[in-house]
Amino acid sequence: MERFGTNYLEERNLVARWPQPIPALVNLLFTLVIFYVTWWIFQDPRGWMRMYTPYVGYMYTRWWLIVLIWMVYLFNYWPFKRSWLEKTHPAIKGVVLTAVSFGVLYVLIKGFFEGLLGNFGLAYFNPGQLTKLPGVTEFFAIEYAALACLMFAAIASWLSPAWVVACEEAPWQDLKQPGKGVSILVMTFFLSTVIYFMTMHSHMGILYYPWQYFTSIAPPYWEKFANTVSGNFHVSWIMCCTVTVWIVETIWGRYPFNLIKRNWLRRLVAFFGIMAIAFTLHFFLYFVQELTWGPAIRGTRRAFAPDWRWLHVGEMAVFFLVPALFITFYCNNWPRRFSMPVNVLIRTAITIVAAILLYIFYYMTSHHFLGTQKGFSHPQQFPMIPTIWLINIWLLHHWFMDNWPGWKMVPKTADEMAKEHEAATAKIRDVRWNPSLGWGLGVGAVAGVVVYFLTIALLPVFYAAIDIIK
Amino acid sequence: MSEEKRKINRRDFFKGAAMGVMGGTLAMMGIYSYAPWRRVHFPKVERKLADIGACKHIKITNISETSWFENAHLMGDIKGAGGLLVNQYDYNWPPFGDGSGLGKGSYEKGIAKIKHLLPDKLDEAWAVAEKLAVHPENAGGYACLIELEELNGQKHKYLLDTGWSYKWTDECFKREGIDQMLKNREIEALFISHEHFDHFWGLPVTMKYDPTITMYIPEGFYPEGLQYIQDAGHKGKVIKVKPGLNPVIAGMASFVFAIPIICRVYGEQSLYFNIKDKGLVSVTGCCHQSIIQFAETAYREIKYENDNLYGVYGGLHISPFEDWDPKYDDLVISLGKYGFEKIGCNHCTGILCAKKFISAGYPVVEGTARNRSKDKAYLGNGDKIGFGTEV
Repeated sequence: MERFGTNYLEERNLVARWPQPIPALVNLLFTLVIFYVTWWIFQDPRGWMRMYTPYVGYMYTRWWLIVLIWMVYLFNYWPFKRSWLEKTHPAIKGVVLTAVSFGVLYVLIKGFFEGLLGNFGLAYFNPGQLTKLPGVTEFFAIEYAALACLMFAAIASWLSPAWVVACEEAPWQDLKQPGKGVSILVMTFFLSTVIYFMTMHSHMGILYYPWQYFTSIAPPYWEKFANTVSGNFHVSWIMCCTVTVWIVETIWGRYPFNLIKRNWLRRLVAFFGIMAIAFTLHFFLYFVQELTWGPAIRGTRRAFAPDWRWLHVGEMAVFFLVPALFITFYCNNWPRRFSMPVNVLIRTAITIVAAILLYIFYYMTSHHFLGTQKGFSHPQQFPMIPTIWLINIWLLHHWFMDNWPGWKMVPKTADEMAKEHEAATAKIRDVRWNPSLGWGLGVGAVAGVVVYFLTIALLPVFYAAIDIIK
Repeated sequence: MSEEKRKINRRDFFKGAAMGVMGGTLAMMGIYSYAPWRRVHFPKVERKLADIGACKHIKITNISETSWFENAHLMGDIKGAGGLLVNQYDYNWPPFGDGSGLGKGSYEKGIAKIKHLLPDKLDEAWAVAEKLAVHPENAGGYACLIELEELNGQKHKYLLDTGWSYKWTDECFKREGIDQMLKNREIEALFISHEHFDHFWGLPVTMKYDPTITMYIPEGFYPEGLQYIQDAGHKGKVIKVKPGLNPVIAGMASFVFAIPIICRVYGEQSLYFNIKDKGLVSVTGCCHQSIIQFAETAYREIKYENDNLYGVYGGLHISPFEDWDPKYDDLVISLGKYGFEKIGCNHCTGILCAKKFISAGYPVVEGTARNRSKDKAYLGNGDKIGFGTEV
């Protein structure tokens, strides 16, 4: 029976060609070169295709991410055969699979959203339909349609991996491909559609004059709570969900949800637990901005506008994803020597520090080499585009190219897999209730509260001490 | 054995502590960060109440608010060149056209075609631009004349911005008598709100009539813009205004906001006027910082009559391309609580936004829709407005 790529990622052994950190640095350099070349070709406002308009480039970036997730997490590389995955040179696999992802992406945007939905359902998915409205220029018609598409993508980029990471593909985990992939795709697409209508449709409905009262809820129900009528409030928490899913999947190794033994309970808690963690991030990163820049003022623009602040929460969150993926993909999820909670805490701390440094570096320098605009809050400044573009390249490099050239792929033996499985189970068994753990938990929780208040006390001082935008 | 137990205990303790730290921190992040009591951490707004003096009144003549005539052409060019982040000097718009086509221009190549004609042979320079640039017929420009009377009766005239198209700006200057005022040195200074094409590229027209005029530009001009001031034939003083409050004369101050703006521009300068017995008036080129930010800044920074926000004139940069976004609705909804008594908006405010202001019951001063302005919903070309006086 052909297995395609089922468990391919778990069953491959990536062997470093040189001692660390050489392979990590080689791969970083390699992927950064690919990033910059492709950025110039597709996105850069000074480059060839100049898709950073910004919404067109952002839409393709977000949907490309989802297509990659679909190909690997939902469809397990189907229809590519296992032997092809194992024997083909990583560079050839990278080119072929990337070309397929581009093909799927094109069909999805032009065929499904613009062609099908835009012509037979919701006009705002199709620029051609929008230009029929008096006063709407072609540029903004394309931007509005791209905005709708990418808002849908934001939701899908959370739900698609969440069904695998949190829900463990249930109830279709035992289906063969492509049945499993199709089932999860249909389910997550359905959920994305429902959430899209509940979170983003009203945003689109009030883009037009007069407000589209009869087809969308206007003003939207979140207005008072979020202090804005903009759907960026939802972009924020949904983006945090996407980031949290991947944090849980990578540097947390599905901890702490993997401690729950009962399958249905673990899956349920994981799905909603990821949302809960995302909401804490959503509120905290908004508070961080209030502490550093002052409270938002409704109706104003840029850095003081609540709608931009919510958007910036999502932008800040994605900075955490970059080091988290790097630690997992290129540092073999270092460290691994301690107990699972301690490993996770250390990785999280490293990720936070690295994300802050990356954030500062990005805003200090990116306008010099990405063609973006200096400053935090320019309406066309979307750090999510370059960061997700880089993440996409890392995903295809890790998933399609087996970390080549820093690593080479060797299939694991049955013995190796059994040992690995046993080690993972032992790690989970290692975290069991006892009085010492209880004392630690209590002291740790108090320390966590102290860490929180120390952080919010020091943030304004820290921000004032650094001149990010010179 | 007991020592081994202690080791195990210590390890378990750290396991628990690691779990607790993350749990405790996350719990506080969720419970506290958006709760009302978080506001105790916000610094109290301390009003600086800087005294900029007061003036009797100001009169504003709208020389031109039509920066371009067809949105579709402008946005088509922007789209074709690669979007709103493309450097404005690269679009190949007039006067910096070099014949290489949309998105392929540069300041150096463009100015080389016309530099020898500036500032006196503007007709010839524009004719060159019409041949080599993209959509030269679409260029208009933004400029206004501000006439201020001090409490002692002394009068002052200032220009805010200097348009885009040489042809259109010169025509508008002549229509409003600005050419003669400049020749007579009646206008004391030219304030440039920001480096955008439609506010700044018509500079040679002002230079043609008064090359010695003092210029106030916001800090943040790019090298091309600074070079253009020289290439346009300016021989007077250029004052680069730093971000923050900069008093000019009694009752008048400029304020520079260090903000990034589309088409690779940085920084905007707007003007505050404190009208005796009335309150504060803001006069803006595009107000990219937003009118509410401008009002909030005034509240924090300066002292003004009756603590009252009296009026607004100029572009409010809400829907310049008649586009819309829910965040603009936030502005429309919120503006009312600031209590402006006279709103003379135009230009990048957008006709759609002006109509929403009128629908919301705000005191918008309507215009006459003359001289190629498109709608009476706001003050058009040639219209005048007074603050502290009627015109």
